[in-house]
Amino acid sequence: MALSPQSLASAHDLDLVSLAVAGGRDAFGELVRRHGSAVRGLLRRMGADPALADDLAQDAFLAAFEQIADFRGEGTFQAWVKRIAARLYVKRWRRDSRLDLMAEPPSPDVEPSLGENGAADRLDLDEALRSLGPTERVCVSLCYGGGLSHAEAALALNAPLGTVKSHVKRGLDKLRARMAPRSALEDPESAAHV
Amino acid sequence: MSDRTFEMELERQFAAAPILADTDTFAFLVTQRLDRGWTFRRMLIGGLGVVGGLIGAGQILGSGLLTRLDTITAQSDDLVKSGIAGLPAVRGLTNLLSTGLSMDGQVLWMSAGLGVLAVGLFVTRAIREL
Repeated sequence: MALSPQSLASAHDLDLVSLAVAGGRDAFGELVRRHGSAVRGLLRRMGADPALADDLAQDAFLAAFEQIADFRGEGTFQAWVKRIAARLYVKRWRRDSRLDLMAEPPSPDVEPSLGENGAADRLDLDEALRSLGPTERVCVSLCYGGGLSHAEAALALNAPLGTVKSHVKRGLDKLRARMAPRSALEDPESAAHV
Repeated sequence: MSDRTFEMELERQFAAAPILADTDTFAFLVTQRLDRGWTFRRMLIGGLGVVGGLIGAGQILGSGLLTRLDTITAQSDDLVKSGIAGLPAVRGLTNLLSTGLSMDGQVLWMSAGLGVLAVGLFVTRAIREL
């Protein structure tokens, strides 16, 4: 049964998924419109340049359409596609031999800055992620953006679990150092304990 | 800030992705690729169907199936005619029909085939409408 664009726009994700399972490409298009930005944003945060992020996001949505009957609705549709996209990025990354999980992480380009003016030091996640090494960035993004567990990330990266956990830990420490001023300003109670 | 609180904040910020300006264009590109893939599949399936049909037709012609079908048809035609001839009540009706319509076995086969085709089309249409 075909729905009008207005009906599609107001339909719930799960209803759109049901229509897409029956071959409804219009319904799937609505899902892409809703969640495309989030998937592309995740890929950019993982380190992909905008063009690559768009290509991989398209591939992820096409793969999602192929496998949509497997979507059980246990999580959100967006989280499901993000996982597909994150795995695609890791696959591409490994294929391009840019992944060296055993390498010592490089020093961040920019040291965590805790200048005099706290407001000026507010850093958003995108900026903070740039201070991470590529491997740390991918590991942190996989686990906190892609929703993968450490074990799933290790499997996707074909790396030992301990190595992935180390990269995540180091990445989190760096992010915390860069994002702390912002959090402290937003939460005075926490600031009092810092 | 505790580790867990920081991790939750991180997850929240990851989830709060900005809406990109070219959302509709991106969606259009994806659906365009879907449509292209769909068209390609249909053409591929259609092409394979034609090739398979040609091979099947070649096999049928080569095996002399049509000749055997013709024989079977003629035999069944004779059987039906002899059966009808044995029924006095139907004889008059048959005579009446045979004046305007030649009901031999081949017509029956073709009618049955067309009937199956019509039912198939109807079912296909009904499924698409659902």
